[in-house]
Amino acid sequence: MERKEFLKRTFSALGIAAISPMVGACTTTDTVEPDATTGTTTGSCTTTSDETDGPFPTKSPASLVATDIRSDRQGTPLTVKITVQNKNASCAALAGALVDIWHCDAAGNYSEYGGTGMQSTNFQSVHFLRGRQTTDATGLVTFTSIYPGWYSGRAVHIHVHVYNSSGKSLKISQIAFPEDISKVVFAQGVYASHGQADTTNARDNVFSDGVTTNISTITGSTAAGYVLTWNMVVEA
Amino acid sequence: MQKGIIKLGYRKIIDASTHNAWDQFVFNDTHLEFYMQAQRLDPAGKFPTFRLLKEHVAGADQLHYLTSTAAIGYIRQLNDLIPDVANRFGKRCLPFQQFRFEIIDSHIQDKSQHKISIWFYSDPVTWIDTVENNLLIACGDKTAELPTGDELQTDLIPLSPFLSITHFSPSERSIKP
Repeated sequence: MERKEFLKRTFSALGIAAISPMVGACTTTDTVEPDATTGTTTGSCTTTSDETDGPFPTKSPASLVATDIRSDRQGTPLTVKITVQNKNASCAALAGALVDIWHCDAAGNYSEYGGTGMQSTNFQSVHFLRGRQTTDATGLVTFTSIYPGWYSGRAVHIHVHVYNSSGKSLKISQIAFPEDISKVVFAQGVYASHGQADTTNARDNVFSDGVTTNISTITGSTAAGYVLTWNMVVEA
Repeated sequence: MQKGIIKLGYRKIIDASTHNAWDQFVFNDTHLEFYMQAQRLDPAGKFPTFRLLKEHVAGADQLHYLTSTAAIGYIRQLNDLIPDVANRFGKRCLPFQQFRFEIIDSHIQDKSQHKISIWFYSDPVTWIDTVENNLLIACGDKTAELPTGDELQTDLIPLSPFLSITHFSPSERSIKP
């Protein structure tokens, strides 16, 4: 090879290397440049240079923050509409409150929440049927979910936890369901194999003191899905 | 030692002394989530620390998972590369999808007592050799390619505190006589 040609090729190769250095041998997705800081040598070892946590981190809401909380769960569609009122402000709508809900699936199971088990970055179904929303100016939050199933010893219910915007707990409660509608739902679809609930609202440990403030209003049908509305009064 | 397919584990501890942006997001948001979730298990606030909750309240172990929900968005922002662990070029290069989240201890009001750790488990990599204090690796299972003499793209990972080999399986080649 001519010296001139050799130099040309060499510079060309260096140019390419400068544009796409082969530093991320495992993957090339990490394109953030390292900090200018270089390692400092101490004794026989070298301190690892600071590395940007690229891409630059941005404020990220908890994975619980979701409107559609169904994930991979099958069941009769249920829209959950909860309105939060403030008893300390003449029952006015409470805006900006955080509302957590969680309930079991058609078979009566909650999403896993025990211990420090292995989780996966691309596997979200462990988070099924749990969600968090912030109330709007009318105190309303809306979730897209499925009609809850039931498990032995408990009447059908949805758990609700309301916090103020700082995360301070205002009220923990449960939504009860009209039994005539649950009977219709549990006779069909993915619910049928599990049968009818074994505990009525009257015999339930939680609701046995009366369900007046817990019972929800439900409209709709198994074909069209149901809409649940419920008012929750807190002291904020 | 016999080489093979390994998974590397990195345990990242985040507490009040943390300084970079990612760590601080995780620190602040997981503390808020811990405080929010702990109030359900202990509405009266009789047990302000995680240790006390574990001793006195059934189901306190749920708090690991429930608190992790505040970290998952940030863990996804890592783009499937283990944080902090860099190759000899100073670049993050270890792919991961599996992690475990653990509350070491926390206090519902005193954030300075909040301390968590996240274990990041790498996808399988082929451990080719050890060069001084570094592991020479290639991503994925390259045991079929090694005997062919083909050139492999590699990385050199310095062994460092909190980085360990968590899984091992001998390569097809090395178990043959």
